[in-house]
Amino acid sequence: MKRLTSIIVILLLVSGLIMTTLINGIAAGKDSINVAVGSPPQTMNPHGSDSDCNLSVMGNIFEGLLYRDVAGELGPGLATSWERVNDLTWRFTLRKGVKFHNGNDFTWEDVKFSFERLKEPFPVSEMLDFGGITKSVETVNGDPWTIDIKTTISVPYFAQNLHQIFIMDEESTKSRSVGEIGQNPIGTGPYKFVEWVKGSYLKLTTNENYWGEVPSIKNAEITPITEPSTRLAAITTGQVDILQDIPVELFETVAGDSNVEVITRPGRRAIYLGLKNEPGFPASDIRVRKAMYLAINEEEIIEKIMFGHAFPAAQIPDPPTVGYDPSLKRLPYNLEEAKSLLAEAGYPDGFKIKLTGPNDRYVRDAQICEAIAKQLAKVGIEVELDTKPKAIFFPEVDEHKLDFYLIGWFDGSYDFGRSIIQLLLSVNEEKGYGGLNGANYSDPTLDKLFEESAEIVDPAKRAEKLKLLNRTAMEEKIAAIPLHYQEDSYAVYKGRGIEFTPRADTWILFREISFKK
Amino acid sequence: MYKCIITRLTQGIVILLVVSFVCFGIFQFFGDPVLTLAGRYATQAQQKEVRIKMGLDKPFYIQYFVFLKNALRGDFGLSYVAQAPVLGLILERLPASIELAISAMLIALILGIGLGVIVSLNPRYFINRFIMAGSLFGVSLPTFLIGILLIMIFAVKLRFLPTFGRGEVIKIAGNWRTGFFTIDGLRHLILPAFTLGMYQLAVLLRLTRGGMLEVLREDYIRTAWAKGLPPKIVIFKHALRNALIPVVTMAGLQFGELIAFSIVTESIFQWPGAGNLLLTAVYETDHPIIVAYVMITSILILCVNLVVDILYGYINPKIRYE
Repeated sequence: MKRLTSIIVILLLVSGLIMTTLINGIAAGKDSINVAVGSPPQTMNPHGSDSDCNLSVMGNIFEGLLYRDVAGELGPGLATSWERVNDLTWRFTLRKGVKFHNGNDFTWEDVKFSFERLKEPFPVSEMLDFGGITKSVETVNGDPWTIDIKTTISVPYFAQNLHQIFIMDEESTKSRSVGEIGQNPIGTGPYKFVEWVKGSYLKLTTNENYWGEVPSIKNAEITPITEPSTRLAAITTGQVDILQDIPVELFETVAGDSNVEVITRPGRRAIYLGLKNEPGFPASDIRVRKAMYLAINEEEIIEKIMFGHAFPAAQIPDPPTVGYDPSLKRLPYNLEEAKSLLAEAGYPDGFKIKLTGPNDRYVRDAQICEAIAKQLAKVGIEVELDTKPKAIFFPEVDEHKLDFYLIGWFDGSYDFGRSIIQLLLSVNEEKGYGGLNGANYSDPTLDKLFEESAEIVDPAKRAEKLKLLNRTAMEEKIAAIPLHYQEDSYAVYKGRGIEFTPRADTWILFREISFKK
Repeated sequence: MYKCIITRLTQGIVILLVVSFVCFGIFQFFGDPVLTLAGRYATQAQQKEVRIKMGLDKPFYIQYFVFLKNALRGDFGLSYVAQAPVLGLILERLPASIELAISAMLIALILGIGLGVIVSLNPRYFINRFIMAGSLFGVSLPTFLIGILLIMIFAVKLRFLPTFGRGEVIKIAGNWRTGFFTIDGLRHLILPAFTLGMYQLAVLLRLTRGGMLEVLREDYIRTAWAKGLPPKIVIFKHALRNALIPVVTMAGLQFGELIAFSIVTESIFQWPGAGNLLLTAVYETDHPIIVAYVMITSILILCVNLVVDILYGYINPKIRYE
């Protein structure tokens, strides 16, 4: 009996000893970095996903013809210069002496191949629309370093989008299987692919043959961590160096930790409410739309629901977007005016309306919907809440049968002209308009203004037209009720002297991160 | 015996068919993958093109038969999102889940049975009552809470152990990565293995104790003591072996579940296992991964159950397979 107890005691002691020897941490090398993100990269096929979390990763391995810097300014990438020759033709001078990670030379044929690849539906491209508007890629006068890209229709934002249309190697892409391409990327970028375990981690290392400056951080790792408490633990212990998207619920805890520096900036994504205007529906009356706008207390939503981590929005595009109008102001919260407008419109006792929204897509989306329901109840509008997973919500948006819905948007090509096609133009299947116009909103004035803007070649004049379109949609028509821009937040572990400036597009490009000297 | 195995295998195949049908059926109504796969800016015509290319325009039963035909050849198709073969993605992740499950099971078996025996010998000792009370926490606390508590104590406050991930791994044979042979890998294993094994540990402890208390009262044990056998032989050979039957059933049944449903633990610790992949797939409406995962884990659980059934016969010769 005693023997048995003593054996167990010894076993426990030994296992304790093993544990303590295992406990000594292994310090990370000075030239490596680990970044925790909220959503994992989905595929290593650079045209296989148009989500930001994926483009962000691809931007390290691949390059587009153009490149956006930290501030969002467009500059040269694989093309050294570019111009719009006429409304259907864009001319590029290609960079010489660039090699892919497998040693192949970068040529104009790779550009041609990559643009054609965009047109192939599943399992290749999520950028079908861009493939669809590209007509041809040809050399100019036989010079292989000058090319003309022709579009099928006038595409004013064409160049704006080229930083995220990545160029692939024709030879290795043609010779490998789809699955292989989806797992082992070969690009021209400053980082080479090392290893990827989907949903868990991605390891990269510098491309020593990069045409530009080889980045100072040699080994980079991206780890998606979804569980908020684990994210908190990972950054406060320094197991990750940078954490993207601090959970708003834990923001104060992270910010209060002395090991961690918090960086925030207004995000690009605007959250807004779409609203039906079909004749006979209460909100087809502009006074009702205005009353609903006035009855929403955005300050309260930001303070109570978003814990202060959002910025009020008076329009859908954000400041760097073409078509943003800085003069637009939110209608101030005013219950009295809202009530009298409703009475004028013939709804003194309000009406019933169903608010649909996702509950797993945007920061605190379902809670925002609840708050709006309570606020609208104060003017007598009875809101039936219908929040659901995004996998069910978005197909409903696609059917254009919603009355009132919450949705978020930002445009990777920084062009309101491109956004409004999807969001607020009348649904037109033939032209491909109104894909995300969930309530089938339709206004001929907006449609007409848009068509006018699409014909303008001069960028400055077009921007003015888009501003007018934006202003008309927001002030005169209240085509949608803007709520707020989300906040981009990052936590940086202080111990290692990392210099990091967040990008407007939330991409994490390791070439822009360095250690303090 | 062989007849029994064959019957069980046939039953297994029927079960797999039913599982595949239900699973395939349910996901037909869970979100439309085409909307994301055509891209945010795609026109309706382009969405249609994608739908046709994916075969999603065909009626349900045709889709199901195409799926079955391919699945029989071991081809579960391409992941919608990763655009890589589904089977490869899952098999690549399975070793991590299996290692975690084995570690958790070992912890549960050694500590559960060991403590169970100690507690049963002197049920009234203060320390033993304390262990029993503790086991109640193990049974009743949800896994995610245990995981977060362990992280907060051992990783954040004490800084003993890492917070997430699998640490350094070595590749053996193809895509089989193991963390068993590096110190860093073992350090990363401790917290998730305890988190995952905690419930099993408590259950096995209580089962062992219950069985032992019952068996120790039996006449043949009294006889064994009376004829002066050494305690080691009485406790382990005569008592424990007889008390072990429900424990083995439970452990066997749960081993399959540990592999298949370690999702919570894997997501808390960002463990690169199959459960984590499943969770990502659900989030991304990646149906091929979900269906293949359910199929593979069903096969796994069926196999484990069969092995447990066979093992019975060896532990307790009284059980006969007719």
